[in-house]
Amino acid sequence: MMNRFNHLPTLKIDTSEKIPFTFKGKQYYGTKGDTVATALYANGVRIYARSLKYHRPRGFYSMDGECSNTMMEINGVPNVRTETTWLKPGMVIKEQNVKGSAENDLMGFIDKMDWAMPAGFYYDTMHKPAKIWPVAMKQIRKAAGIGKLSPDHHMPGKYDEIFPTCDVCVIGGGPAGMTAALAAAQKGLRVILMEARPWLGGQFDYRTAEYANRQTCHERAVQLAKEVEKTDNIRVFTHTANIGAYNNNLITGFQIGTEKDSFTERYIELRAKSVVVATGCIERPLLFENNERPGVMQAGCALRLANTYGLLPGKTGVFSIGHDLGLEAAVALHDLGMTIPMIADIREDGQDPVLLKAVMDRKIILLKGWVATEAHGRKQVKKVTLKSLDGTAEKTFDCDVLVASAGFTPLTGPLVVNQAKLKYDAHTNFFLPTDLPKKMHAAGRLLGYENGLSIEASGHLAGLKAAYDCENCSIADLGEAKKAMESKPGPARGTKLVMAPVKGRKTFICFDEDTSIKNVKQSIDKGFDVPELIKRFSGAGLGPGQAGIPGHNLPLFTAKYQALPDIKIRPTTVRPPLVPTLIATYAGTNHTMLKRTPIDDLQRKDGGIFRNIGVWQRARYFSKDFTSRKEIENVRNNVGMLDGSTLGKFRIHGPDALNALQRVYVSDLSKIKEGRVKYTAMCNDDGCVIDDGVVIKLGENDYYFSTSTGRAGQTVEWIRYHTRYENWDFSLVNLTDAMGVINLSGPNARKVLEKVVDIDVSNDAFGFSEYKEFKVADTIPVKAMRLGFVGELSYELHVPSSYMKALWLILKEAGKEFKIKNFGVEAQNVLRMEKCHVILGQESEQRTNLLDIGLGFLWSRKKTGYKTVGVAALTQAEKDNSRLKLVGFKMENNGRAPRDGALIVDDRVRGHVCTARDSFSLNEAVGMALVEGDMSKVGTRLAFYEDECNGELIYGTVVETPFYDPAGQRMKM
Amino acid sequence: MKDIKRYSPVEFKVTPLKIETRDHWDVVMEYHNEGDGPWLVDLSHRTRLDLQTGNLDAKKPFGITIPATPGQSVLENGLLINRMNGIQSSIYHLAGDAIEMPGETEYTEITEASVFLAIMGESVFAICEKLSALDFMDKNRETPFLYQGPFSHVPCQIVTLSREAEKSGVVLTCSRGYAKVMVDAILHAGEEFGLKPAGEKRVTDWISSL
Repeated sequence: MMNRFNHLPTLKIDTSEKIPFTFKGKQYYGTKGDTVATALYANGVRIYARSLKYHRPRGFYSMDGECSNTMMEINGVPNVRTETTWLKPGMVIKEQNVKGSAENDLMGFIDKMDWAMPAGFYYDTMHKPAKIWPVAMKQIRKAAGIGKLSPDHHMPGKYDEIFPTCDVCVIGGGPAGMTAALAAAQKGLRVILMEARPWLGGQFDYRTAEYANRQTCHERAVQLAKEVEKTDNIRVFTHTANIGAYNNNLITGFQIGTEKDSFTERYIELRAKSVVVATGCIERPLLFENNERPGVMQAGCALRLANTYGLLPGKTGVFSIGHDLGLEAAVALHDLGMTIPMIADIREDGQDPVLLKAVMDRKIILLKGWVATEAHGRKQVKKVTLKSLDGTAEKTFDCDVLVASAGFTPLTGPLVVNQAKLKYDAHTNFFLPTDLPKKMHAAGRLLGYENGLSIEASGHLAGLKAAYDCENCSIADLGEAKKAMESKPGPARGTKLVMAPVKGRKTFICFDEDTSIKNVKQSIDKGFDVPELIKRFSGAGLGPGQAGIPGHNLPLFTAKYQALPDIKIRPTTVRPPLVPTLIATYAGTNHTMLKRTPIDDLQRKDGGIFRNIGVWQRARYFSKDFTSRKEIENVRNNVGMLDGSTLGKFRIHGPDALNALQRVYVSDLSKIKEGRVKYTAMCNDDGCVIDDGVVIKLGENDYYFSTSTGRAGQTVEWIRYHTRYENWDFSLVNLTDAMGVINLSGPNARKVLEKVVDIDVSNDAFGFSEYKEFKVADTIPVKAMRLGFVGELSYELHVPSSYMKALWLILKEAGKEFKIKNFGVEAQNVLRMEKCHVILGQESEQRTNLLDIGLGFLWSRKKTGYKTVGVAALTQAEKDNSRLKLVGFKMENNGRAPRDGALIVDDRVRGHVCTARDSFSLNEAVGMALVEGDMSKVGTRLAFYEDECNGELIYGTVVETPFYDPAGQRMKM
Repeated sequence: MKDIKRYSPVEFKVTPLKIETRDHWDVVMEYHNEGDGPWLVDLSHRTRLDLQTGNLDAKKPFGITIPATPGQSVLENGLLINRMNGIQSSIYHLAGDAIEMPGETEYTEITEASVFLAIMGESVFAICEKLSALDFMDKNRETPFLYQGPFSHVPCQIVTLSREAEKSGVVLTCSRGYAKVMVDAILHAGEEFGLKPAGEKRVTDWISSL
């Protein structure tokens, strides 16, 4: 294990606490504060994985998971980004995408086969003949890929979610972000600060260079972080990556839990009035041969390895950089003991004089206008070739680390996913955000500022702009902040170099997809000349790093290769999630929010088998015989009880209650008498039936009505919508959950009911279609209706929900001597089908109107003046014989029933089966179907085509309906 | 006739310490080990009314003036009146003796239509934040105020009664059918904060402290 520094003020590790973990079957130790990647590095691991296509060795390159180089399998979960994953005791870590090991991968030979796999080679080669593809695909998938996951893998951990709200959300906890948060908070606003790393500070945190007045950047970061943390109205989420930004400032992210948290990962979805994006920059990779060989790493990565994690990246490091951070890293690492034979700086001039002096003081050779052109070493860097930019001079140095970085790339993801545009800026060589969404502001390094004071001034200004959005900041304050900003140094000049003077066969622009510069050239040469097309043809940027590596190099190189006079092309589109996370995190706690009826538990105890039906859970069966034969026969011959509590139930009252009902129901409801039940239906403007139910008059201008289960949630809005231009005074109260419903059905239903009530419930006293109110046991108030949906003597008992259990048990007790049984929704479905009573949605569809399904008798043509919804369309459709019609059918030769949804065909599709069952009441298979008008005549032969019937049709005939008790005597007995 | 019981849609899996029977309801006044808060209390037995009329401003239910602006609430004498929109108010009887149902037809008793819960304690809004995007800490709203929106994805009426440290709390109603899953969701969200079921007494004490 490597020695760790333990004296640096910037360290985030505690070397006194060892953490054991297993790697490739052996136990190793990291230290508290390590990521998995740094712990492995400390244990001498340099090759973490092999690449997707060529199986090239890959190592530590960046530090924030911008590429798949250090993705590994941890505790059985593949593709874990080890650079950003805390080391935890007992972790089992494995390499992935290797045959053998990452060190000795049997598939490594593919790297030499790159000539056979040009850009788009799948498209070019594997479709001629087409039958090659399935075979080839299997082999390719075996050879390539990044990890395997069992389909039944259960994701361990606790996944949580929160939905906070704030005035200002600041994305990025670096100096600009912290300053913005403080500025907004000082205006009294509620601020949320999201930072992807586990601590605040951003690029200041790990730097020991001077910020101002002899204060180091790190000291300044600590100072700002303390200020932020003591400000009550700033809520800080660290280790929280932003993953999306949407309209109206909906910001999403995920937080990684610590030992103290109750969650493993937590999804965050927050609303802010204004947003500041201060996400800073990542480094723009330098393009040269073998630019991703283990040992090649970016300047920030090398510096953070030392300053944050106490690890010297290597013994001898050559630098090929294009910015002052590179010089700063070289000086710092030299002081920590690294031998630095050479710094090649792309820039001819413009370096920070203080840093230049520091380099000279340390006698490090600095070559201006030079760049690395090739890293040597089969598995790790052993030496490097440097050349002058014009390619005329060349030097070679031995080293075990090559720090390489071309420049910076602003992290504009949150802005771009929220529809900001990017525009090339020649001064910074950045694609800078323009046309920012309303109430969204950018600040800090992502705008090109390098000077610490400028970064903070930019953050302060953005914080005040956000406060202004929240109407908590004056124009004068903004003006002052702008002036302060203008007095500071502006954006730094960016290096223009895109690629070292090399051919590019092994110069990788995208590590995740093994896309080389040569591949990009091939794509352009084939006409795919913009980044979006190149991306799809060559794969550049399609990997799990979310284009972190190709990023802005791709459009810059594309412009350069085509010698475009003006860089109008753009980087490829970025999409959420900006940082990849687990699907488990998105799923969150995932409570299934379904309703239960008041006697749900009683039915479960009785063996009810439940199904989700709309927003409800309902007992569909009461045995494992899913034909529900016993339940059906018990209702036909005896008495059964059904829980019908899911029906919609409403009270409508007020002077214009009747007007409102007349507007939406097709029947004339002015004729309802108290004590009677009126069955009716609602249509939409096309005359299509959308709902049916019963209406009862409770008193003057006071009605109670029911709707189907599925429509209950929309009824109030429906009636309000269709009366919106009337100045009618009526009130609607949704009582769906207030009233439970028990359907007591069967020839013995009366015998059961009369045992529990004090009133006369004989047919004369309480006839069909009548309504009564009474009390059971002098306590339970009941609204009772004589209905006949299942075709038998039936009572629909509406009861306050809190009394449902009591009444259910009372009826059950009373019905014991008649062997009363529960029946479920499936039995009800068959019973009513035998009677040809329709269920809307089952016997109707979008095209079928009231007349088509045989409910025309409900339409009162004499009712005028109410502009009843759908009546105009019904009038037009009345004489149209071509429409679908609902018919009943029986099967030929006592055959089985076709499946619900089976097609009715001749030489084309002519209709479909709505419901069909083998009827135990009738001893034959019957059903209802919607067919074209000319097929609706009794006697028409119907041919049924079912899924997977292999062309074998079954046949039935249109018959008169209803099938059961056509005279309707049983429900009126 | 034998004793008829009314059942709340909520059943906490904890042992009641003290029960009172009221109008056929068994009301748990206190549970064993209620802890130090936060608490979740089932108030489903408490009377709720719907008042709807085109002339709402002229109404003074139980002598209380209905707030003028939708979203505002008023708490007086244990009665919470919430202005829902131009023509509709909900009335929750939170504390005190049973109320008489007003005779006017504009009132509908909706006690049975919903589950009625109180969540109280200092961390109540941290719990709410896990279940709803509604902004309970909006400084532009003065307590008590009403939200009509999703809580654990279910349409709810939620009234914030106090945001004052340990007096913080909300009452919420949603369709009765959601009772079990709503309670499960709240208890799960509150687990990390030590949320426990409590009896009605906690609410009575809380209301009298406001």
